Amino acid sequence: MPFVCNFPFFSILLSLFSGTVCSMLPAKAAKVVNRTVILAVGLMSSVLLVYLLSTGEAFIYWMGHFPAPWGNEIRAGVLEAGMALFFCIIMYLSMAGGAHKLPGEVVESKHNLYYILVNLLLSSLLALVYTNDMFTAYVFVEINTISACGLIMIRQVGRTIEAAVRYMIMSLLGSGLLLFGLCIMYDLTGHLLMSNIKESVGLLMANGEYQIPLIVSVALMCIGLCIKSALFPFHAWLPDAYGYSTVSSAAILSSLVSKGYIFLLIKIIYRVIGFDIFNSTRIIDVLFVFGLMGMIFGSISAIKENDIRRMIAFSSVAQIGYIYMGFGMGTQAGMVASIFHILSHAATKSLLFIAAIGLTDVSGGSRKFFDLTGAAYRNKWAGAAFTVGSLSMVGIPLFSGFISKLLFAQAAVQVEGKMLASLIVLGISTVLNAVYFMKTVIRIYTSAPDAPYKGITFRDMKAYAVALVFFILLNVILGVSSQPIVDMIGQGLAMFA
Amino acid sequence: MYLILSSIFFPILAGMFLLIRYRTPLSGEKNADRKALTTLTGSFLIVTAALVVASLLTVEEGFTLFYLTKTLPIYFRIDSIGTIFSLLAVIVLLCAGFFSFEYMKHEERESRYYGFYLLIFGVLNALCFAGNLITFYLFFELLTLSSMPLVLHSGSREAVMAGLKYLFYSLCGAYAALFGIYFLYRNCDSLTFTAEGALRASAVTEHGGFLMVVAFVMLLGFGVKAGMFPMHAWLPTAHPVAPAPASAVLSAVIVKAGVLAIIRVLGMFGTDFLRGTWVQTTWIVLTLITVFMGSLLAYREPVLKKRLAYSTVSQLSYILFGLAMMNGSSYTGALCHVLAHGFVKAVLFLCAGAIIYRTGKTRVEEMRGIGKEMPLTMWCFTIASLGLIGIPPTGGFVSKWYLAVGSLESGIPVFDVLGPVILLVSALLTAGYLLPLTIHGFFPGADYDYNMLQKKEPCKWMTVPVLILTILSVIIGLFPDIVINLIRMAVTG
Repeated sequence: MPFVCNFPFFSILLSLFSGTVCSMLPAKAAKVVNRTVILAVGLMSSVLLVYLLSTGEAFIYWMGHFPAPWGNEIRAGVLEAGMALFFCIIMYLSMAGGAHKLPGEVVESKHNLYYILVNLLLSSLLALVYTNDMFTAYVFVEINTISACGLIMIRQVGRTIEAAVRYMIMSLLGSGLLLFGLCIMYDLTGHLLMSNIKESVGLLMANGEYQIPLIVSVALMCIGLCIKSALFPFHAWLPDAYGYSTVSSAAILSSLVSKGYIFLLIKIIYRVIGFDIFNSTRIIDVLFVFGLMGMIFGSISAIKENDIRRMIAFSSVAQIGYIYMGFGMGTQAGMVASIFHILSHAATKSLLFIAAIGLTDVSGGSRKFFDLTGAAYRNKWAGAAFTVGSLSMVGIPLFSGFISKLLFAQAAVQVEGKMLASLIVLGISTVLNAVYFMKTVIRIYTSAPDAPYKGITFRDMKAYAVALVFFILLNVILGVSSQPIVDMIGQGLAMFA
Repeated sequence: MYLILSSIFFPILAGMFLLIRYRTPLSGEKNADRKALTTLTGSFLIVTAALVVASLLTVEEGFTLFYLTKTLPIYFRIDSIGTIFSLLAVIVLLCAGFFSFEYMKHEERESRYYGFYLLIFGVLNALCFAGNLITFYLFFELLTLSSMPLVLHSGSREAVMAGLKYLFYSLCGAYAALFGIYFLYRNCDSLTFTAEGALRASAVTEHGGFLMVVAFVMLLGFGVKAGMFPMHAWLPTAHPVAPAPASAVLSAVIVKAGVLAIIRVLGMFGTDFLRGTWVQTTWIVLTLITVFMGSLLAYREPVLKKRLAYSTVSQLSYILFGLAMMNGSSYTGALCHVLAHGFVKAVLFLCAGAIIYRTGKTRVEEMRGIGKEMPLTMWCFTIASLGLIGIPPTGGFVSKWYLAVGSLESGIPVFDVLGPVILLVSALLTAGYLLPLTIHGFFPGADYDYNMLQKKEPCKWMTVPVLILTILSVIIGLFPDIVINLIRMAVTG
C-alpha cells in the first residue's frame, strides 16, 4: 500500500492532536498552528485526490491490526478526498476572512480555546467524511456537536448562550435518534462496519425478514441527521446560532457543519442501506416534501427578517431544502445535483456571511437594513462580494447557484411523478430568493449622503479583502467550469457502490 | 471570433472600468471632471460600434467559447436575424448615448449611468450574436440585471419600487422560459438556433400535447420582456422613471430582446408544429388584447413619458401579432416593425427628454405652444408620430402594410379580418394620443401669450441624434427595399 494511503488517517490525527497542543500555546501561536494544520490537511487531501483519480479505485485502510468484521476502518474514494479538500478551503477562507473580528468578539484569554474548537471541528468533519464504521461516525458526530456548541457560545452575549442551549438540545435529540437507529441496525445485522451492514441488509431484504424494524432504523437515522442539518421543520435552532455567533463560526457552521451531517447521510444511503433499497422506501417521499416546504418557508422567513445576518441564516434553511429535494428524487442525477449544491451552497453562504460582516462594520455595527443603506460604497470589496453571493443564490448564470439549479431541474425532468412539483417550487423559490437578496443589494447600493459612518479602504483590510476575492473566484469557478467537478462527483458516487 | 468577442467584452470591460474608476458621487454632488468622463464614454461607444459593424461585415463560422456543462456550450454565431437586431441596437445606443452627454448634465451620478450603459451595450451585442438558447438565456438574465440600475437611477422611492417591479416580472418571465429550456434540452438534439424546428420527430409524436404547453409557457415567459398582456404591468411603471435617454434605450431596444427571444423560440419549435393549434390562437388573442389595451391606456394617460411607455406596450404587440400569424408577409412586417418602432420610439422618448431638459414640463396639457419654442424637436416628434401611426412615407406604414397583408393571407378564421381591424382602430387611437401634442404645440390657440415665448431649442448634442433617428425612420419608408431584402434573407435563412 503506497504511502499516500496513510493521508486520511494523518489528517484526522493531525487535527485532533493540534487541538490538544493548542491548549498549551499562546493565542498567536495557536492561530499559526490552526492555519498550518488546515493548509496541511488541504494539501494532503489534494494529493490523495490526485492519487485516487489516477488509480480510479477507492481503498480501505485498517485502523489497527484486526481484519474486517472486527476492526475499525477508514475508507477513501474520490468523493471523500474531494470533500475533505473542499472543507479545508472553505474553512481556511472563513478563518482568514473573520480573523480581524476575533479580538472584538471573543475575550482575549479564550482565543486559544477558539482555535482548539476549530481544530476539533475539523478533525470530526474529516472523520465523518472518511470513516467506514458506523460507531466511529456516531462518536465524531458528538464531538462535532460539542465543538460547534463551543463555537457558538464562545462569543459571550446573551443571545449566543440561548442559541447554544437550543442548538445543544436539538442536536442531542438528533444524535440520540441516530444512536437509536444505529442500535436497531446493529441488533438486526450484527455489524458496525458499513460494508458488512450493507451485505446483511441486502440479505434481509432479499429474504423479506425484519422489514419494519429495518425501515424504522433507517427512518430514525435519517430524521436524526435531518434535525442536525436543519431540514425545514427542525430548523428553529438555526437563525440564532448562525446569526449571533462570531463571523467565522457562522460561516463554518452554515457551510461545513451541516454539510458534514448531510455527507454522512449520503454515506449511509449508499454504503449502509444501499441506494436502491433506500429509494424503495417511502422515506424519500418524506424527505422530498420536507425539502420542498423548506425551500419555500425558509425564504418566506428570510423575507420577513430585518436583520441581515438572520436573513442569510434563514436562507440556509431554503438551501438545505434544495439538497433534500435532490435526495427525495431518488435518482443518481438528483444525488449528483444535491452533492454539487453542497459545494455551491458552502462556497456561497460562507461568502455571504463574511461579506455581511464587512457591511455591518461600516454601518456602526448595526445589522438593521435601514442602517446598511449605502454600505457598499463605504466598503466596496464587501459590497461587490455580497452582490456576487446574492446573484449566485438567485441563480444567475456564470455563478455556482445557476449550475446547481440547472442540475436539479435536469434531474427533476427525469422523474415522472415529482417533475412538476420540483420545477414549480424551484421557480417560486428562485423568485423568493430574488426578493430578499436583490432587496438587500439595492439597499446597500443606495447612496446615503447623511450617514454618519466612515468608509474603509483596501489598505485597512488586506487579509479580509483577499479572502473575499478567493471566495468570489471559488464561486465563479464552480459556475463556469462545473463539468469536471460534476464528473468527479459521478465518479465518487460510483466508487461508493 | 476575436471581433465578436471584443464587441461583446470591450464595452463590458469599459463599463466596469468606468464604474470602478469614478467614485460614485453622493447625491447632490456632480462628477467634477465631466468633460473627461463624457469624452471617454463617447470614445468607448464609438469603438464598440465600430467593432460591432466590423464583426457584422466579416463572414464567420460560429464558435464555442467554453462549455458550461458537457452538453451546454456557450456558442456565438451571427445570422441575419441577429444582424437586424444588432443594427438597431448599435444605432439607437449610439444616438441615445450622445444625447445623454447633454441631458445628464441635470442628473446626478453620471459615471454610474455611463458605466451601466456600456454594460448594456455589450450584453445586447452578446444577445444578438448568441448562437444557442442557453447562451441567449445567460445574457437575457444579465440584460435584466444591467438595465435595472438605469431604472433605479434617481434613487427615489418610486424609482426603487419600479426597479424591483421590473426585476421580479423579468425574473418570473425568465424562469418560465428556463422551465421550457429544460424540456427543449431533453427533446432536441441540440439547443443551437434554427428556423425549421429542432424537436425530434419521436418527441413530437410521443408527447406533442405537453410540448405545446411548454411552448406556450416559453412564449408567455419571454413575452414578459416584450410587455405582452397579462404580464405587461411593469413596463409603464419602469420605463418612465429612468432618465429620458435610458427610457429611449429601454423602450426601443431592450424590450426587443423579448421579441428576439420569441423569434428564436418559434424557430426551435418550428412554425409547422404550432400553426393552427390552440397555442397560436391564444397567442393571437393575447397580442390583440395588448394592442388595443395599450393604445387605450396611452390615450388616457396625461404624463408624456408614461403615455409613450403605454404606446410601447401596444406597438410591441403589433410585432408579436405578426409573429403569431406565422406566415411570410406578417413575419416580414413584424421584423420591419422592429426597426421602425425602434427608431420612432427612440425619437419620441428623446424629444420628451429634450422637453423635460429645457422646460421641465412632463404633462401633456402643459406643453401648449411647445412647437413654437422648440420647433426642430417638435418637427422630429411629429414625423415620428406619423411613423408610429403608420402614414406613408414613413417606416411604420411599410411594416403595418405587411402585417395586414400577412394577416389577410393567413386564412385563419375570424382573426385574418379581425386582426387588421384592431390594428386600424389602434392606429386611430395612436393618432389620438400623439397628434394633440403637435396640434397644441404648433397651434396654441388665440389666447396664447406670444410674448412669453422663448427660444428653447436644445444644443446640437441633443438635436443631431434625434434628427438622425428621424431621418432613418423615414428612410425605411422611402426605400423599403433595403430593409425588406435584408429581412427576406433572414426569412429564407
